[in-house]
Amino acid sequence: MQMTAKAWAKVALLLAPGLGLILALIGTVIYMAVTQSFGYYNLSGESVFSLEHWAEMLDRRLYFRSVQYSLYIGVLSAVFSVALAYPLAIWLRKPFAGSMLIGTLLKAPLLVPGLVAAFLFINVIAYHGIVNQLMEALGIWDGPRRLQNDRYGIAVLILQTWKNMPFALLLLTGAVQGISDDVLDAARDMGAGSFTRFRKIIAPLSLSAMQAALVIIFIGALADFSFQVIAGPTNRQSMSQLMIYFQGHGRWHDAAVVGVTLMVLALIGSAVLAVLARLLVRGERVR
Amino acid sequence: MLRKLLVAAALCVAGAAMASADDVSANEWDQTVAQAREEGRVNWFVWYLRDDLRRFVQPFEKKYGIAVTIPEGTADANAQKLLSERDREPGDIDVFTYGLNNFESLDITALFLPLDFLPEDEGRLASVSGEDGKSYILSFWGNQTGIAYDTSVLAQADLPQTAEDFARFWTEHPGKFGFNYENGGSGPSFYLNLMGAVAGVDMTSAAADGATMQSLQPGYDFFNAHADNYVVTASNADSIIRVSDGELWLVPGWEDHLAGLQNRGEVRKDIEFYIPEFGMSGGSNGVAIPRNAAHPAAAALLVHWLTSPEVQSEFNRVFGTAPMNAASDDSAALVSNTQRSRSTAWPSDELRKPVEEKFIETVILER
Repeated sequence: MQMTAKAWAKVALLLAPGLGLILALIGTVIYMAVTQSFGYYNLSGESVFSLEHWAEMLDRRLYFRSVQYSLYIGVLSAVFSVALAYPLAIWLRKPFAGSMLIGTLLKAPLLVPGLVAAFLFINVIAYHGIVNQLMEALGIWDGPRRLQNDRYGIAVLILQTWKNMPFALLLLTGAVQGISDDVLDAARDMGAGSFTRFRKIIAPLSLSAMQAALVIIFIGALADFSFQVIAGPTNRQSMSQLMIYFQGHGRWHDAAVVGVTLMVLALIGSAVLAVLARLLVRGERVR
Repeated sequence: MLRKLLVAAALCVAGAAMASADDVSANEWDQTVAQAREEGRVNWFVWYLRDDLRRFVQPFEKKYGIAVTIPEGTADANAQKLLSERDREPGDIDVFTYGLNNFESLDITALFLPLDFLPEDEGRLASVSGEDGKSYILSFWGNQTGIAYDTSVLAQADLPQTAEDFARFWTEHPGKFGFNYENGGSGPSFYLNLMGAVAGVDMTSAAADGATMQSLQPGYDFFNAHADNYVVTASNADSIIRVSDGELWLVPGWEDHLAGLQNRGEVRKDIEFYIPEFGMSGGSNGVAIPRNAAHPAAAALLVHWLTSPEVQSEFNRVFGTAPMNAASDDSAALVSNTQRSRSTAWPSDELRKPVEEKFIETVILER
């Protein structure tokens, strides 16, 4: 059917509420951040094109360490969440007595705000928190140990995984439940063990859900602020933390440089993760 | 025609409001009190302990029949509101609170009413640690940074007082001293003053230039040399909680913050507070009345009440603040007057910002 101008206008109008919101709100924010990183929208002086802010930032270790740390948290959080969610999704694939209750409990962290979780976690690992008390009571540790704000961001990784694993589980459960019993039974008949069935059947057939989970969790964890500020290492700053630091000191252009970097890293990192997941799984696919 | 009438009416209302705000300073005090009662309400913009302060002003409300509204808002948001509505008649802010050293970023004489029409009170302070209120601002909340320590493990005689003492303490008791570099000013007060002491730089008067930054290098080196032996905490509150928990023995903190937590039973009572010999920064929060205040007389009455000796004694008792009226009772203060004399003024923002930034980059993130 030939589309007339009137028909195109109708399509455009129908798309306007959704697309318009994306273009008008997200587009303007991205536009402002990018232009501000190049010296425009100066809040306290002349707005002129300048590469100075990028040059200055690219010359600082502070910036690169922040990029490195945020990538570390983003990638590992996504991988750990998906790795933990897969066995649970497979376990919950076929309904059994109590499976709904277990599934609901596993998804409970989705309902707990991140800030609340971080504060609770800090209480648990505090110097005289229950972890230390338990380890001392069991005689494993002689005295309390300092677990808070560990230098490798392990607390942040635990929190990110705890918070995001249910989301990965939600996506993967649907995908895994969609795999026919016949396919898995056939593989079993041909002598495939559990791990082989996972590598050659389940993973390839749930690839799209895995990619979606990896990408969405990666983007969220890359831009983490609340977990980092409360439970993160004090000798590292995440990119969001660095951006807020600059903004708090009135350095909007530097904050914009960090913000734009964060967006670019989210875009590139997501693509890389999705491609890597595909390559990894495709290599295992039954030919 | 209707439009002209509306504009004229609006101008009259604005003029009347402006006149009342300016005229209140020309009134006799009795007239001001009467006018305040007529106004019946006052909006106090203060960014901290709002719930506690709402309770604290209840005696004022009861005594004068004036409702005090304390809206939500951060210090910066309140300052931005003050600036953005400076030409609005009348504005929303009747009493504006800000750190005394932060007032320097505002055009004080253009924005606020002079407060010399308040009843004379020689004990009232407008100047604290070198910050001058210039008669437009009155200090009502004295705050002081210092070191909170656990008396169950440290005696007064063991408290480090100098840079050498701290170096020794860190070496002898690794992991028992902690300070924050963000989310609160007590940690920055500690390292700024200690760096000044190590480098022989007077942080309160040093120029914000390259020479000062270079002179401070021994201070950065000092912290880097002992990096393995001290802990970096997440905030003022985190420091205090961890000393109360027994994890740390010594942490920088705010006198009023510690006293408030102790009064609420959230921190052990045997945590004490001192100002080391090299000094730590102190100051105050001030109150001022914007020229476009909608309830200027009630605002003046509230400022008068807040800065009175009785209320300052009460602030000291309830919140542990340093009284901002010489006639007040400061017996609930956590530090003696001898120690309070070690209080130093904060470095200027022009100096503080680059020094702090370099500290974060070359000390904190290098750990």
